[in-house]
Amino acid sequence: MSRESILLGRVRYSQDRELPGMLHARVLRSPYPHARIVRVDASAVPARAVALTPDDVRGLGVYGCQIQDQTVLALDRALHAGDPVAAVAAATPDEAEDALALIEVEYEELPAVSDLEEALAGSVLVHERIRISDNDAAYFGIRPEQGTNVCHRFRILHGDFEVGLEQADVVIEETFRTPAAQHAPMEPHACLARWEGGRLELWTGTHTPFNVRSDLARVFGLAEEDVRVVVPPMGGSFGAKTFVHLEALTAALARKAGRPVRCVLPRSEEWVTNNRHPALLTVKIGATADGTLVAKRVDSWIDTGAYADCGPGVAQKIGYSAVGPYRIPHVHVESRCVYTNRPPNGAFRGFGATQAAWASERAMDLLADRLGLDPLELRLRNVLRDGDVFCTGETVRDVHFAECLERAAAAIDWGQGRSGKGLCVLLKGMQTPSRAQIAVEAADGGGYTIRCATAELGQGSRRALTLVASELLGAPLSEISFPDPDTDIVPYDTRATSSRSTYMMGNALEEAVRELRKDGRRGVGEFRNSGGLDPDTGQGVASSHWHQGAAAAEVRVDEETGLVEVVRLHAAVYAGRVVNPPGAELQNEGSMIMGLGSALFEAVSFADGQVVNANLSDYQIPSIADIPDGLTHDLLTKPGAEVHGLGETALPPVPAAIGNALGSLGIQTTELPLMPETVLAAIDRRDGGGVR
Amino acid sequence: MRVRFALNGEPVELDVRADETLLTVLRRDAGILSARESCGIGVCGACTVLVDGRPTSACLLLAPLADGAEVATAEGLGPDHPVVRAFAEAHAFQCGFCTPGMIVAATALLAESPSPSDAQIRHALAGNLCRCGSYVKILEAVRRAAA
Ligand code: FES
Ligand code: FES
Repeated sequence: MSRESILLGRVRYSQDRELPGMLHARVLRSPYPHARIVRVDASAVPARAVALTPDDVRGLGVYGCQIQDQTVLALDRALHAGDPVAAVAAATPDEAEDALALIEVEYEELPAVSDLEEALAGSVLVHERIRISDNDAAYFGIRPEQGTNVCHRFRILHGDFEVGLEQADVVIEETFRTPAAQHAPMEPHACLARWEGGRLELWTGTHTPFNVRSDLARVFGLAEEDVRVVVPPMGGSFGAKTFVHLEALTAALARKAGRPVRCVLPRSEEWVTNNRHPALLTVKIGATADGTLVAKRVDSWIDTGAYADCGPGVAQKIGYSAVGPYRIPHVHVESRCVYTNRPPNGAFRGFGATQAAWASERAMDLLADRLGLDPLELRLRNVLRDGDVFCTGETVRDVHFAECLERAAAAIDWGQGRSGKGLCVLLKGMQTPSRAQIAVEAADGGGYTIRCATAELGQGSRRALTLVASELLGAPLSEISFPDPDTDIVPYDTRATSSRSTYMMGNALEEAVRELRKDGRRGVGEFRNSGGLDPDTGQGVASSHWHQGAAAAEVRVDEETGLVEVVRLHAAVYAGRVVNPPGAELQNEGSMIMGLGSALFEAVSFADGQVVNANLSDYQIPSIADIPDGLTHDLLTKPGAEVHGLGETALPPVPAAIGNALGSLGIQTTELPLMPETVLAAIDRRDGGGVR
Repeated sequence: MRVRFALNGEPVELDVRADETLLTVLRRDAGILSARESCGIGVCGACTVLVDGRPTSACLLLAPLADGAEVATAEGLGPDHPVVRAFAEAHAFQCGFCTPGMIVAATALLAESPSPSDAQIRHALAGNLCRCGSYVKILEAVRRAAA
């Protein structure tokens, strides 16, 4: 993607891809959060359009990247308001939309599970049996609790929490909540499918082409090699475009139509396709009078909606992220992923770290307050340093949490009064274990071609890889081409998630270039990181290296209206070595701005199980007018250090830094977003008898 | 019905339905892909084009109302246009989806006030959303392009 093509609007995203004879798809969705589907009658749809109904897909396979729980259309029960029950392909999107109105569906409403509390009560089961997926995204021990709505439970046992608690002079226990949020990439989900000689070909915006390929192979009973996934550049994703969303349905329509079909998701349907997991976390943390942490217990529940997607993975990451980057001898974590009759929730920039940091770091400030300690002091006293042991039993190296905190604090003049100021430190793991492969070819007409599965979603990792390749090959950028990922051609990769592309692929690239030099035509490099956690004890290696950061915020609060103004916001992020400085800055700034939205106003709202703010007017995302003048950041580097991915690090600490800034004014909140009503209620609590 | 307007300086004549938006017909019939639908309701600016010099959400304007107008899109700006150059130099984009709309809106602002204050820039671009959050550098780009 050249700069010029981006600036002048010549980029062809998935939504712009076309094939001759292509039809356009629209999806009919259940209006009920839970209903028996008695009858679907599409006989009134005119013959020039193609309707797909449950009977067309009954014989197809069940998919799901971590748990096999999803069918191409809802078959007998619709499991959330927005669950696809039928679809139409027609010559134009309008015609398809009109045809949807001609499909008759008879529903019988069923009692629905609308939140975590109801799900855990267990009187309604969203799925009767929970089957673990054979997709390689189910790479860790998944522990469903059959007969309940819990599709995964992850546990950490480190020391003995009860023993630790006895040593504590001060104990804080509090419950924290974060709502569903919407990724809202400017380009919606879009996918184009065609069948060619028994092979399925897809052009789709996804970070996970190989996972999509294997799920689709299973749905259609094909060999993986008979599914081809090509990934055009994405107009943003932020995690929304991971794993299968529209692809199975679009492919089934194309097969029935015998023609290529494109599905570009109408904006409103984004909110019923993939959101961020709402989370409920209870944190109990104890320290001795001098501020030494001795024990921590975290109970976490995330609402994964009607389909698990990668929720089990998010629950696992929340489990250790919520312990935070601290030395704590006695830790007990129980983290669960729970089904409800809500739209599915999946990967969202931060992958659970935002929810975890909100709870964990707000609790740290409550503890500091109780101990009468400076929150920075309390953190610095306990933060992980090189050679310390994390709650997973792994020894941490190359960690710079203290430095990140100090830099962030300095940026808002922490030393000159703490009123209206707050901090948050962040630890985020990188996917472990995983494997990345990249190939470099000498092109016929001169120059080089890079082939790998890393997709372009605006994160700049393809640019970074091109820069690294140019250096390694000693070739100018203009001689290096980097075509869109195509699973027929590129070597295997786990997935471009958890900010791992630049690091993993960068390492693999060095080997690929060495191999190319030997072979003359083509070199393939591979890089693996190994480790993983025992799901029942949480012991092992959570991450082969750590994404580390801290945020500091200064706020002004209008105590009459409850309006929070962020005056200064700073993020300090450990980058190791920086490959592409402007790209790194953009990642940091973009993450902070998304964090601002999560902190101050973003939440998906529901009424009767339906999303009620499914448009960009009622669901607001930050605009240029919302950006504080004092939005700054710095990248910590170290000569010779490893490259650290920066795609997500600066987002998760932002909400808690802002929440802690409010806390410094005695405005103690436990719930996001920090809307005026939430802030006013906290002011009332403060004025009506102090901090609760 | 037929509508005639100037598109990036060239006359065009298109067959449209009375209820179709300018965005639909630009994309379908005029080969314009820089204007993009994102929100579809006039709040995101991804479909921004200039109609007689004014930044307009093409997703809201019915195509027949463009009859006789001068319509300009990012396709009509060359790589050497000062605003395009400023966006390149300031690295003011990530995925690029919002970028052409942002650039078009910025050219309109600068045509009206060649040296806008930061507050003016923020005001003028508040209707152009960038979910990648490239705003700090977008602000910088518009400052650079200003006289
Ligand atoms: S698509 Fe026109 S303003 Fe959003
Ligand atoms: S650069 Fe991606 S939306 Fe603006």
